Amino acid sequence: MDVLQNLAMGFEHALTLQNLMYCAIGCVVGTLVGLLPGLGPLATISLLLPLTYSIPVNGALIMLAGIYYGAQYGDSVSAITMKIPHASSIVTCIDGYQLTLKRQTGLALFTAGISSFIGGTVAIVVLAWLTPLLGRVAFMLGPADYCMLMLFGFMCVSVVTTGSVLNGLAMCFVGVLLAQVGTDVQSGVQRFTFNLDTLYDGINLVSVALGCFGIAEITKNLDEGEERSPFNGEIHLIPSWANFKRIMPSALRGSLVGSILGVLPGGGATVAQFVSYAFEKKTSKYRREIGSGAIEGVAGPAAADEAAARTSFIPLMSIGIPENAVTALMMAAFIIKGVQPGPNMIEKNPDLFWGLVASMWIGNCFLLLLNVPLVRIWLSVFKIPYGVLFPSILFFCCIGTFSINNNLNDIFVTVAFGFVGYILMRLSLDPSPLMLGFILGPMLEENFRRAMLLSRGSFEVFVTRPISATLLALVVALTLVGVVGALRAGRRGGLAERHPPPPPDCETNTPPSAMVI
Amino acid sequence: MNRNLVRALLIAGLALSFGAGSFRYSIGDLSDAGPGLFPLMISALLLAVSLMMIARSRYESAVPIEIGMKRISLVLGGLIGFVLVSKAVGVIGGIVALVFVTALAGRSYSWRRNLQVSIALIAVAFALQSLLGLNIGLY
Repeated sequence: MDVLQNLAMGFEHALTLQNLMYCAIGCVVGTLVGLLPGLGPLATISLLLPLTYSIPVNGALIMLAGIYYGAQYGDSVSAITMKIPHASSIVTCIDGYQLTLKRQTGLALFTAGISSFIGGTVAIVVLAWLTPLLGRVAFMLGPADYCMLMLFGFMCVSVVTTGSVLNGLAMCFVGVLLAQVGTDVQSGVQRFTFNLDTLYDGINLVSVALGCFGIAEITKNLDEGEERSPFNGEIHLIPSWANFKRIMPSALRGSLVGSILGVLPGGGATVAQFVSYAFEKKTSKYRREIGSGAIEGVAGPAAADEAAARTSFIPLMSIGIPENAVTALMMAAFIIKGVQPGPNMIEKNPDLFWGLVASMWIGNCFLLLLNVPLVRIWLSVFKIPYGVLFPSILFFCCIGTFSINNNLNDIFVTVAFGFVGYILMRLSLDPSPLMLGFILGPMLEENFRRAMLLSRGSFEVFVTRPISATLLALVVALTLVGVVGALRAGRRGGLAERHPPPPPDCETNTPPSAMVI
Repeated sequence: MNRNLVRALLIAGLALSFGAGSFRYSIGDLSDAGPGLFPLMISALLLAVSLMMIARSRYESAVPIEIGMKRISLVLGGLIGFVLVSKAVGVIGGIVALVFVTALAGRSYSWRRNLQVSIALIAVAFALQSLLGLNIGLY
């Protein structure tokens, strides 16, 4: 009952005209930056942080949070229609874009919008009721558990995105190695920087994402002579009852996966959508269609992504530890406003905590309105001829990169990764696992070194801890499943790649029906 | 060239480059890791994976690799031009260079269209500078 009373108090704060306005601004800006390739929530919150100095604390935090979860909604629109995803819509892009190629963009957008709403709603319930309990779950994890959790994430990504464990793992490890570039936080040594100032703080995530996805995708479209995006501007948003029935179970499964994984540091929205996708591929009645444009392939990851984005606030607000770059910026905003996130925050600032929770649900309603009935307005940007659109996207890529450090030289790094992304695409190597490896690389290293330090250099720590041992067993099981699958494929007449390659559009992202080594 | 072999060799090359680079830093031991230990371990794992990929490529049918350098060169050249011109004369010049160079990668080329796109993007840049306070040095 306490929770309901507190929520009522939160709605009282969130429903003031001023806070409603900030929530709406956050959602609109978030949707816009999610939609536009080249500007993500990270860059936008960085840009807007100084502007919040003069805004009241509740309004500022409600607006910044709105940008974050609004961008999760908006980026699925560009991922589905243009195949230009941010990190949080990499998986939604796989089946969503396939649906666009089948002229079912409206169905994909409706599925993503409604699933995100369901994911957000479930996550808010989790956030309100289970914050103290889930906070304790994160406390139970030691460094060895984190390492195994991340390796498990790598395996899931490898299986899900490429269908080839070897190709996927290779890209994950390349991502981890790229994350080594920069200053080693423990010793202060500059690693792999070649004495370039631009690399002292490491390679920028935005550069890798824009290069490998944005620039490479544009060049591929130009190579293939696409003057327009495959999206033709015509959408039929209202799905049939049969399709609607397919959305609900997947969205609910994705919401649960996202709510659980979102709370784990290192998990977050990126891993949640991959795990949800793998879960759908194993459990869905329509699993055979996933990868070639299935509703379940959009609904599950979209719900998981949104749920994880909301529950990722739990470690920040219950423990005071941000789990990703965006929540780290949110933490900065809290501190600027004189609020220290952590166990005492709920007691000391109940109006702030419950107001933020309530505003998330209000924001969810705003976003549903913006991204389903009003999505046609947003989509008008994609009716522009590709000859006009692609220089504009490249400009936003430049601005997105520049805005991180206000340094034009950072664009050279984006250019380098544009070339890398193009080569990877031509070699049929999917950059999605590389991104995950790159994001989790520093955390993997930190936890590995800590685990080894605590165990005095013994690898036994990975099998003596129950959580770590369970995750290790899952990693081994996935590897064995891959080996058995490959052997079976071999018996049927060779490895899967002996079969004719899939069409170029789905070559890099469509998981084959059988996992291969 | 066989695409499967080329990608395996590329991965192997990356593993060897990072692995060799790791030795420039202190390795330490497992209980007291130096800055070179972790990249060395990951490089070793990556090399093992790449060797398996090389072995696998022997049993796979050869797939020809197709890389067209013209358009990627124009796109990347336009981006580099944006940086160099922006440094020299400001972002307005950079935008014009970006639009006119990258448009060469498209199927059709129109001076008038490029000019319109440049003007629109310059307006966006002004909006970003005045509304968001982004210090992009327009001129």
